[in-house]
Amino acid sequence: MSEALLDVEDLKVTFAGRGRDVHAVNGVSYRVRAGQTLAIVGESGSGKTVSCRAVVGLLPPSAVVTGSARFRGTQLIGLSDDQMRQYRGADIAMVFQDPARSLNPTMRVGSQIAEAVRAHRHVTKPEAREQVIELLRLVQIPLPERRYLEYPHQLSGGMRQRVMIAMALACRPRLLIADEATTALDVTTQAQIMELLLDLQAGLGMALMLISHDLGLAASYADEVIVMYAGRIVEQAPAARLFTSVRMPYTQALFEAIPRLERPAHSPLPVIGGRPPDLAALPAGCSFAPRCRGAQDDCRRAAPPLAEHEPGHRWACWHPCENVADAFGEPGRPVPRGNGDTA
Amino acid sequence: MAVAEGPEPGAQTGRARRVLGSPSLRLAGRRLLAAILVLWGVTFLTYVVMNLLPGDAAQELLGANATPAEVHQLEVQLHLNEPFWVRYGQWLGDAFHGSLGTSVVNGENVTTILGTRLPVTAELLLYAFVGSIAFGVAVAVLGSRRPNGVADRLSMIVSMTGLSIAPYVLALVLIYLFAVRLPWFPAIGYTSLTADPFQNIRSLTLPAVAIGFPLFSIYTRLLRADIVEQMQREDYIVTARAKGVPPWRVLLRHALPNSLFGLITLVALNLGALVGAVAIIEPIFSLPGVGAILIQSINDHDVPVVEGIVVFFGAVVVVANLLADLLYTALDPRIRYERAAS
Amino acid sequence: MSALLPDLLAPGDPADAKREPRARARAGWARALRLWGPAGFLVLMLAACFGWPNIYPVPNPVRGSVLQAGLPPLSPGHIFGTDPVGNDVFSRILYGGQISFEVGFGVTAIGLVVGGLLGMAAGYWGGAADTIISRLLDVLIAFPALVLALAIAEGLGPSEVHVIWALSVFSIPAVGRIARGATLALRGQTFILAARLSGTRGWRVIVRHVIPNIAPQLMTFSLLGIGVAIILEGALSFLGLGIPLPEASWGSMIAQGQQTLSASPDLVLIPSAFLFATVLSLNLLGDALRERWGVR
Repeated sequence: MSEALLDVEDLKVTFAGRGRDVHAVNGVSYRVRAGQTLAIVGESGSGKTVSCRAVVGLLPPSAVVTGSARFRGTQLIGLSDDQMRQYRGADIAMVFQDPARSLNPTMRVGSQIAEAVRAHRHVTKPEAREQVIELLRLVQIPLPERRYLEYPHQLSGGMRQRVMIAMALACRPRLLIADEATTALDVTTQAQIMELLLDLQAGLGMALMLISHDLGLAASYADEVIVMYAGRIVEQAPAARLFTSVRMPYTQALFEAIPRLERPAHSPLPVIGGRPPDLAALPAGCSFAPRCRGAQDDCRRAAPPLAEHEPGHRWACWHPCENVADAFGEPGRPVPRGNGDTA
Repeated sequence: MAVAEGPEPGAQTGRARRVLGSPSLRLAGRRLLAAILVLWGVTFLTYVVMNLLPGDAAQELLGANATPAEVHQLEVQLHLNEPFWVRYGQWLGDAFHGSLGTSVVNGENVTTILGTRLPVTAELLLYAFVGSIAFGVAVAVLGSRRPNGVADRLSMIVSMTGLSIAPYVLALVLIYLFAVRLPWFPAIGYTSLTADPFQNIRSLTLPAVAIGFPLFSIYTRLLRADIVEQMQREDYIVTARAKGVPPWRVLLRHALPNSLFGLITLVALNLGALVGAVAIIEPIFSLPGVGAILIQSINDHDVPVVEGIVVFFGAVVVVANLLADLLYTALDPRIRYERAAS
Repeated sequence: MSALLPDLLAPGDPADAKREPRARARAGWARALRLWGPAGFLVLMLAACFGWPNIYPVPNPVRGSVLQAGLPPLSPGHIFGTDPVGNDVFSRILYGGQISFEVGFGVTAIGLVVGGLLGMAAGYWGGAADTIISRLLDVLIAFPALVLALAIAEGLGPSEVHVIWALSVFSIPAVGRIARGATLALRGQTFILAARLSGTRGWRVIVRHVIPNIAPQLMTFSLLGIGVAIILEGALSFLGLGIPLPEASWGSMIAQGQQTLSASPDLVLIPSAFLFATVLSLNLLGDALRERWGVR
């Protein structure tokens, strides 16, 4: 039982807006262990991105962050920007979505990666260049010496994302947060990048946090999956367990919404009706109740707490899914390839 | 798995770029042509306007008491009775040969007139220009470090004042405060650079501030807004911060270069207004520049002189716009290099 | 991903924390003051310049008696004193203000209509129309418009209407460029494409979609333009080519006062102060509106 690399406890983030406060994150707790892959899944507005940025202090000054986030024992919440910068890019690194906009268009790719190196280490320019070329090789970019001199717009989307990964790995981080890192890529490139991330993780022994709206991605590549809704965790389990025994109706609905080849042609895609709640005016009871198929009166009255009802499996629901069949409602279906231990 | 994404490995770096350079060469050629066209348009428009004005130079020279016969005689002498197109054609032809004609009023060579007066105006404009941009950038950077902080609010107040004050008002206020009340600067007069550099700067400071302060205000406001927008809205800024880059470097190395485009456009755009500013400021300070004679020349219908001045300023604006385009290309590699595959 | 966060921030608000209710209330008051302060001053000025002389008798601005020339401010009957010819400065300020506002609004209105139409046409239809209009605007911008303005004012004879036409040479290309840029930016957006695909005719699209969307930008720009026009009218009058003496204009008053700058600076400072305050209010109002409407 390894000690937690990142220990988040009751994290809350509120944005002060004009006349109304937006409660983006409402009490989130989880642990990431060294070498582990944790996926955080949710719709837009679920708070998944905000909670991760809160941990590294990348939110605008209008955000109020409370709670605890301990990285190897050190409390990160409340650190000054200067103190936080010691960790950012060094121990904790991030990869973002849409590398077209996440890279400085007027700066050469090599310089941008070198900047990541030189922000934390005293190396000369030639030494930095050497390290950058090595990093480019590590992320499997061909002809790294040439790529070093190029600008972001000269690279394809997949290559740009590899550059972002190289930048993140510059100082051998212990924790890599991939915020929708593959969302803007086509499916083939997506798979390539994910494979790359996993190879790197294994090679460098770092923990990986995958943030995504794609539950299929999470289930395929993560050890453990957290499902967030309206700023709260609603279900958490090892990936395989989640896949075989879904409890939270929201999670089940997410699974059902994944398009599958096995369905008959032209059958309508199941969607979750309604819209995500207004984070400035959350309902009193369970946040998902207005859209939940199995919602009952007590759901609307009081919000169910997140509790570990089964070992390793937490959920927050008064009336979880009864049958323990897998997410697709079919018993005995083989579990797809993943990194976690099978339930 | 290492699929070759991007240009084929066979292509060579330097040569590929040089080959890619030629479309931009063609583009530069087109821009130059457009610039010349604009310059021609300016001279033509000026000629038209000057000719549409009632009366003419002969009338002005001889005054109200002249008989029509006397006026006509002078007109013939000055070739003013020839049709519009002939006169314009002659002027244009002369101009291509480098001659800008002679002043109708005093017979002097326009080139000579410009030659003595242009250096004064040029120095004044350079002084104002450099000062306004240097201060503009510096103040914008200082303010955007902490939006709505003390430095920022202060700079907003100062720049708002600069935007709202008329140059001629500012000139008079400056004279009153710093020449009359406090004898730090001369109220009028000009000392040339070769005669006495220190006095030269002294005599040009108040006029340069009168012209430069409103410019500085516009520049700093725009740049500050652009920088703040980059810092708050752009993803690559978040990436830079996530890497652990120190805040000043994020501002100067990432946000600032990407914020300069608006400023460059604005500077080039504002140059046309400078001729007006000069025409008003130079007489107030009795500086012997081109602005000082512009209004008088219009009044006198001294078309060659007016044309000469207009050509000069028109060329300045055109050249500045070309330079601005060049700067864009230099700053934004997306314009410089064509996109790679995918 | 940054697209997520700015929606949570008020537009135009630099990201500083205003968390406690008291601080936020203060910020709300400050914001309201920034809008209504300048607006109130402008209304006051307009009322004073256009209303006061009709309600309450003021000394004639142009037929002052030489016997009363050169009185200092706060003299009995002449709160701002008199000018070298004996005219009451206060009433000249009021009547000069009328001129300033009329010219300012007139020039801006012409700029908005003509420049706006040209710019929108160039931006929306592109192609040949764009090239022609853009070149035309380029020439107007490169052209020392002051020369044109001076020439018009001088040639047609100084009068208020001629000044308005002369200054429109500035406002038309300025608005035209902004309108063209804004229209181009808008054209790329999906809903415009949807409108065009649905078969809506060009002018309809412009009226129903383009104008409402670029209007805030054009309006705030034009507010600044009114200030510029007022300053330029002052410049023309300062040079003697605007509103002719003895009629009152802030610019000519300043020019007149130049001669006695050392001895009695108030002849320059008083009209300068009004000119400054008016333009400042226009600029502040433009800024406040830009903040409220979320214009870039």
